[in-house]
Amino acid sequence: MAEVHDTAVGGQAAAGAPAAVEQPPGGKQPAGGGLAGRLQGLTVADLIRAAVIAALLLFVLFGLPSLLSLYYIDASTQTAIYAIVTLGLGLLVGRVGMVSLGQAAVLALGAWVGARLLFASSMPFELVLLCSGLITMVLGTLVGLPALRLSGLYLALITLMLAGAITVVLASTNFPNGGTGFLGYNGASLHIPPIRRPGIATSDPAFFRYSVIVAALMFLLVLVHLRTRPGRAWVSIRQSEFAALAAGINTTLYKLWAVALAAFITGVAGGLLAGADKYLYSINFQTQDNITLLAVVLMGGVFNMWGAVIAAILMQFLPQFLQNIGVNSDWLIILFGVGVLQVLATAPAGIADQLPKDLARLFRLIRRLVRPAPQAGGTS
Amino acid sequence: MRSYLHGTSVRLGVALTTIAGALALAFALSSASQASTGHAVARSASATSSCGPKPGVKATGSPINLGAINTKQPGTDFTDISNMAAAYFACVNANGGVGGHPIVLHMLTDATNPAQIAADAKQLVTTDHVLGMVGNTDIIECSVDYKYVQSIGFKVIAAGIAPECYSTPNYADVNMGPRYSSDGAAQYAISRGIKKIVFDQSNVPGTAYNVGGVAAIAKAHGVSLTQLTENVPITDANSVAIKETQDAGPNGAVVLNFTPPEALVILQAAQKLGLENKVKMWACSTPCNTDFLAKALGPAWQGHFYVNAELTPVDGNNSPTVQLYKAILKQYGSSVSGGIGSFSQMGFTIGEIATHALESVKGAYTVKSVNAAFEAVKNYNTGMLCRPWTYGPYKLHIANNVDYTVTPKNGQMLIAQGCTPISADDPGIAAYRKAAGG
Amino acid sequence: MPSWTDFQPFLITGLALGGVYALSGVGMVVLYRATGVLNLAFGAIGAFGALISWQLINSSGWNEWLAYLVCVLFGGVLTLLYGMIFGPALAHRDPLVKAAATLGLTLILLGFMDILWPSSGGQSRSISLPTDTGGFMIGQVQVTWTDVIGLGVGVAITVVTGAFLRFTKLGTAMRAMADDREITATLGVPVRRVEASAWFGCGVLSGIAGVILADLVALDPTTLTFLVISSLAAALIARLQSITVAFLAAIVIGTVDSMITPIQSLTNYRDMTPFVLAVIALLWVNRRRTISMTRQGV
Repeated sequence: MAEVHDTAVGGQAAAGAPAAVEQPPGGKQPAGGGLAGRLQGLTVADLIRAAVIAALLLFVLFGLPSLLSLYYIDASTQTAIYAIVTLGLGLLVGRVGMVSLGQAAVLALGAWVGARLLFASSMPFELVLLCSGLITMVLGTLVGLPALRLSGLYLALITLMLAGAITVVLASTNFPNGGTGFLGYNGASLHIPPIRRPGIATSDPAFFRYSVIVAALMFLLVLVHLRTRPGRAWVSIRQSEFAALAAGINTTLYKLWAVALAAFITGVAGGLLAGADKYLYSINFQTQDNITLLAVVLMGGVFNMWGAVIAAILMQFLPQFLQNIGVNSDWLIILFGVGVLQVLATAPAGIADQLPKDLARLFRLIRRLVRPAPQAGGTS
Repeated sequence: MRSYLHGTSVRLGVALTTIAGALALAFALSSASQASTGHAVARSASATSSCGPKPGVKATGSPINLGAINTKQPGTDFTDISNMAAAYFACVNANGGVGGHPIVLHMLTDATNPAQIAADAKQLVTTDHVLGMVGNTDIIECSVDYKYVQSIGFKVIAAGIAPECYSTPNYADVNMGPRYSSDGAAQYAISRGIKKIVFDQSNVPGTAYNVGGVAAIAKAHGVSLTQLTENVPITDANSVAIKETQDAGPNGAVVLNFTPPEALVILQAAQKLGLENKVKMWACSTPCNTDFLAKALGPAWQGHFYVNAELTPVDGNNSPTVQLYKAILKQYGSSVSGGIGSFSQMGFTIGEIATHALESVKGAYTVKSVNAAFEAVKNYNTGMLCRPWTYGPYKLHIANNVDYTVTPKNGQMLIAQGCTPISADDPGIAAYRKAAGG
Repeated sequence: MPSWTDFQPFLITGLALGGVYALSGVGMVVLYRATGVLNLAFGAIGAFGALISWQLINSSGWNEWLAYLVCVLFGGVLTLLYGMIFGPALAHRDPLVKAAATLGLTLILLGFMDILWPSSGGQSRSISLPTDTGGFMIGQVQVTWTDVIGLGVGVAITVVTGAFLRFTKLGTAMRAMADDREITATLGVPVRRVEASAWFGCGVLSGIAGVILADLVALDPTTLTFLVISSLAAALIARLQSITVAFLAAIVIGTVDSMITPIQSLTNYRDMTPFVLAVIALLWVNRRRTISMTRQGV
């Protein structure tokens, strides 16, 4: 049922298979290949899980903002937005086995579209998010077309090439800053107007709540996909494209579907980012960001939706925290590097998978220490 | 948490330790060599005692909190400016402080990320409760924060880059920034009789704003102008240099507005290609004013390369201010990685002005009193700038608008032209002089 | 539109730029063929080595050739260390995983470089090889010996490593091992030793490339580290297999990139050249859809 098989990044767990057998934590485990994937009647465990998540969400929405300083609220908003981005990349990498090194560029496209629409129209913010999601979906799918012909390393590298090209284009066109014309950029502009936020969420805590709700909706959207037909198709594609083809699955369609879904939610995230940042600059979107993004997604874990949250925390919250306690940001880059090596070499399922196991092991260890069993000492 | 892991992890741990060891070795190697050049001169208490009112008496009162935001990302890093301002404050604090109060500078950084900058500003204001901001140097901070800063009544003393650092009521800078420094470089070239200007700059926010002044000055003098931008980092500097010289022609000037590493790359390419004298003049805005560059450029550049300089050249300068600057750098500037240079000079000047302003505060130190004191700074002689420095209640601030031109000679930057006002042909300068009554 | 005489100099600089791309592009293909690992840390390793050389020359007063030798050895030793430690751990994994792991090394090196050689004071560093001062004219353009060396080293690597991998026993062993480590081992090839020499050799290449690129491009950690992204284009066009194709592709990319420079409307987009050419080439060679069934799953 658990499904860390021969995937692009999953590979064989270097520690030797057993890692794959345990269940991913925190619910939301994908519909397993053998299971009938229809949304089944909820079990008690499912209900508990849903209740825990709902409680967590309520706390994040209503408890957290009053506990955090504005500095950390801003960092949390970014975390919520990037959780959508990492969710999209995690979906591609973990569920479909397509490693993209271009999702940061897709985010930049989404942010560009979002900013342009927000400057150009007085559409409700939600509608802008939907439009930037849809437009980015179209663009992202075009960018993702090579994915249909390539796989593995070549796919990753061609997406990196495309990301590089997009980044150069955006560096030359710049992000909209309230100017006129198609590009909406005025290089001579003084006193650049900020990008607007939704009327109900102009303050930072309110926009944080808004972002969390949008992020939750995106997670739900992906969850629904995973629990229904596309999710099952993706699982079989990732396990073996041949078998999937043989089983009559339209692999092209479902791969494209995954790319489109990831681009859609990333585009929505881009629109949110425009509102959160208020000002966008092309120097803030570099080709190498795609590498960092993949690094944190791998560290967070791609077989589990919590991995997306962890990855976003690593990418957006941790830097702000480290800076606040006076740690040079270069150490963070080093930490990401070490994290990537560690995850790839020993824990392919990432922190989201590893952490509960480690905690469980720690718990067992403590229990054994507290109540020494006859065969004590079996902890290597 | 990972102490009980299985074999692979252990092997991995060994691996990472080994790599860390190798890197630590490299670190030791470089820091050892830095140590040999860095702090060889013995501390002299007397050299720095003039920065505070009570030599040798440590300030122990309640701290006066100030904040700073700087760009810091691999390749673009301006933290030396606030580090040097902090070094200046450390000197003040060790010598009596301001009325017995030490000045504490809270320094935050960002990777050119608007959200991060906004968060930094809120952290400083709402959590660290700083009374003012000094030393901000950031590619986009002024653009992102100017409204917020205005709303809380701060009067920032900065070393600015973004357009809003020079066009809003709440920022005043010790430097001139890319636009006005480019003006200075262009007008020097024009004064030497060039017929055409090719202005090349990195493709970062505000390119059209940056070139605006040069365009106005060129137009006023009937000199034609070609505008170029380059995506950075530059990988093909040869082509860039050839394009610039082709466009400028033998009677033209190439005016560069880049960070020091990028400018160096272009100039070195021009040097390798033997293009030094293919145009009448190469000129550069202030970032090129570093000894790194003077040392890297060969003798063929003599008489062909001029740099606008916003701060008093310190090579061979023994004024009391420069002596104090060097002494503070030695005694308190261990975190100022670039040592002597325009970055630390700006930080020093900001420290000077802020301290001078704080000393004038009567009564309690509050956001209101501190920022009123900043704004009230008038004709303060910093010893680092051409003219005394004034903040003033103006709707825009180009507090530094008179400066030098320097040229490299024997590995140093020497003065080619003394203090010269930036031309009021630039409408920005004209507007400022009108507002400030200068 | 500029005239042909305006274009001529860019043809020359284009060849030099092609040499730049070739140095790292070919280096990456060599390692890939010899070990099955796409080393994305190629640029970071070279940059780190070049910065060590810079430090030794400028602060410790070393003889520059000795300092460059240290850079080359640093590249060799660091790459060897990485290969020996992570090579076996990742031996059975997908090539993508192996490549992603080198991104980890890249980030580690980048972080340390920024800590060790900060730019917070506007520092700019440079390495100037003695060959910078000599050279000859082609038309209106001065060509330095360093440009020639850059291109020459590219050619030399292409010819020598091509021949080495094809004709020597060690080279054959390397290729076999990159294909299938286990089978090679059962055939009696001393896998560990062969692998070690492959890693070391490629590390040496990254060290050499580091010094030359530091001179030709910039001695800047970020620039050199991420130069591999553009250089990858050449490697990709060669499908990570043909060293000769990688070299030729690099020259074409460099020339096109450089020739676009004087065209006003396109000049800001010229940095797209490697990416666009790589995408076109990859899509062309993959125009018929195939799914490969190899053990490694690419």
